[in-house]
Amino acid sequence: MGRLNLLVAALLMLSAISLVTSRHQARQLFIDLDRARAQARDLDTDWRRLQLERADYARNARVDEIARGDLKMISIVPDRTIYINQAPSAPAGGRP
Amino acid sequence: MRRVPFFDNPVLRVQVPTWRARLVLLMLGAAFLALAARALFLQGLSTEFLQQQGERRYERTLTLPATRGKILDRNGLVLASSVPARSVWAIPDDAREATDAQWRELGRLLEMNAADIRSRLTDLDKNFVYIKRQVPMDVADKVAALGVPGIHLQPETRRYYPEGSVAAHLVGFTNVEDHGQEGVELAFDELLSGQPGSRRVIKDRLGQVIEDVRAVNPPVDGRDLRLSIDTRLQYLVYKALNDAMAEHDARAAAAVVLDVRTGEILALANLPTYDPNRRETLRGDRLRNRVLTDTFEPGSIMKPFTAALALDLGRISMSTQFDTGNGRFQFHGNTISDVSRNGMLDVAGVLRRSSNIGMTLISETLQPREMWDRFTELGLGQAPQMGFPGAAAGRLRPWDRWRPIEKATMAYGYGLSVSLMQMARAYTAFARNGDMVSMTLVKRDSEPTSVKVYPPQIARAVRAMLEAAAGPDGAKAAQVQGYRVAGKSGTARKIVDGKYSTSLYRSSFVGFAPVSDPRIVVAVSLDEPKAGGYYGGRVAAPVFSSIVAGSLRMLGVQPDAPYESVIVAGVPEGTR
Repeated sequence: MGRLNLLVAALLMLSAISLVTSRHQARQLFIDLDRARAQARDLDTDWRRLQLERADYARNARVDEIARGDLKMISIVPDRTIYINQAPSAPAGGRP
Repeated sequence: MRRVPFFDNPVLRVQVPTWRARLVLLMLGAAFLALAARALFLQGLSTEFLQQQGERRYERTLTLPATRGKILDRNGLVLASSVPARSVWAIPDDAREATDAQWRELGRLLEMNAADIRSRLTDLDKNFVYIKRQVPMDVADKVAALGVPGIHLQPETRRYYPEGSVAAHLVGFTNVEDHGQEGVELAFDELLSGQPGSRRVIKDRLGQVIEDVRAVNPPVDGRDLRLSIDTRLQYLVYKALNDAMAEHDARAAAAVVLDVRTGEILALANLPTYDPNRRETLRGDRLRNRVLTDTFEPGSIMKPFTAALALDLGRISMSTQFDTGNGRFQFHGNTISDVSRNGMLDVAGVLRRSSNIGMTLISETLQPREMWDRFTELGLGQAPQMGFPGAAAGRLRPWDRWRPIEKATMAYGYGLSVSLMQMARAYTAFARNGDMVSMTLVKRDSEPTSVKVYPPQIARAVRAMLEAAAGPDGAKAAQVQGYRVAGKSGTARKIVDGKYSTSLYRSSFVGFAPVSDPRIVVAVSLDEPKAGGYYGGRVAAPVFSSIVAGSLRMLGVQPDAPYESVIVAGVPEGTR
């Protein structure tokens, strides 16, 4: 009887400790998950910011100014263009 | 001292009355009873209240902000996007401890006057005062590092518009609360703004979130919106208008480019404009989206519709001759005059020479009811169905109240008012085979719907006439190298103090290209040009020409008109 009591008491202790550890682990994992989520959010924000930055650099007004001013480019006109007709079944990739 | 064993203690020898022992026992018993009762009360009766109080101390409800959707152009380029920002706010009572140097530094970072900031914080009874909103993150971080007492930061978002003033009237802008105020931002506000979510969590001593108490109510981010606009065309139109504004010293200018096949609006620009990134430029006059909200008497650009109606009803034929005389014509007590004397003209000639007298004679073959019906079918007098805020309906008075002179003036575009957008859309009837396409600002994936207005052969005939009207004998400034263009110029006098002004005009040009298979309709209008002429064919037609030339090149449309090539295809000698 006394032995059984001891055994059950030990089991109880073990289960109690495992509960505490699993609980602790759950919280740790939750914090990690939260951190990962925050990181995902930050990355999304960064992406938005970079997209905006790219849009800012690719702004038509800026491109136009650089092309005309710095690079001395001129608009193309039909009489300086050779039009090449290609069948519509041309391989995908570049746009006409 | 003599040692006495416990049982020998003399104190114990004293006889104490038994009631004293009982009293102590009773009091102890009563105390335990009170404790038990209290425990029962706390555990049993007020348990719910206490648990709530406990939860309140470690549980928190966090709101999860939703991000406003992006606005993209048809090729996926960003026109508007939100990024996190911070608002700087203060508790005046706490901020008293800040030093002068700290205020100066804060003022420098926020680009504000230090004294101005301090003057806002004089009312010590307030406990929340905004200092500056929508501060970019990098500046906010520096403000936080400064550590001014009583100054705090609060997260919010700020919207950026990379194209700035170029697409300002289309995209619109939001207010500081992130709600749409103008343009697409307002028209599609519901779609763009998401639904904020919430989560209830337990936080530990360090403020870290430990676990969710309830299922998370996730935020729904706003949907991204892909417009039909092509940013390259938009810039082209903007630049062409800008140049024309400068050249002709006009008060305002507007232009719109429509895709004939899909009804999509490819570009829409207005001047003067504003920069949605800089709130100080948002002023009344600049905010007007003139293409959609301004109505005006169209003038000559209305003529093709009346002529086409008369042809459609068989009242005139292509060879009917009209005697426009010497350019002055008495009609119901009014004098109708042409710019020049044209003599005998057929209907194509009337359009080419833009003869008001010719149009008056054509209108004599028509009933007011017929004209009103056709104009209504063309969408005049009704606001265009495109969900854009403030789209004007224009004015088309009921036919039974037209006076005879009004029927004549309406035939050549006076006595009714339209928006530039309505005119552009109506011209799609000629650019297509007599059917008018429905417009959209959002990229279209399906076939557009269209309404039949003229029979195909009439549309083709008018197209040929309009090509002549934009040809060598007409508004030749509209011509584009390599492409056949068709269109009609208009010069409308403006009404000033109830009378037609002789010095203020609105010059416009509406047309389409290439004529062999029209792809775009372009409508241009300049308000009150003061320098370098005022005729539509002189002022607006060159703008039309440069927009068409650039647009067709960017759309990769092959030229349909002969031109002399100055280069020869071949392989350079060295590479053989």
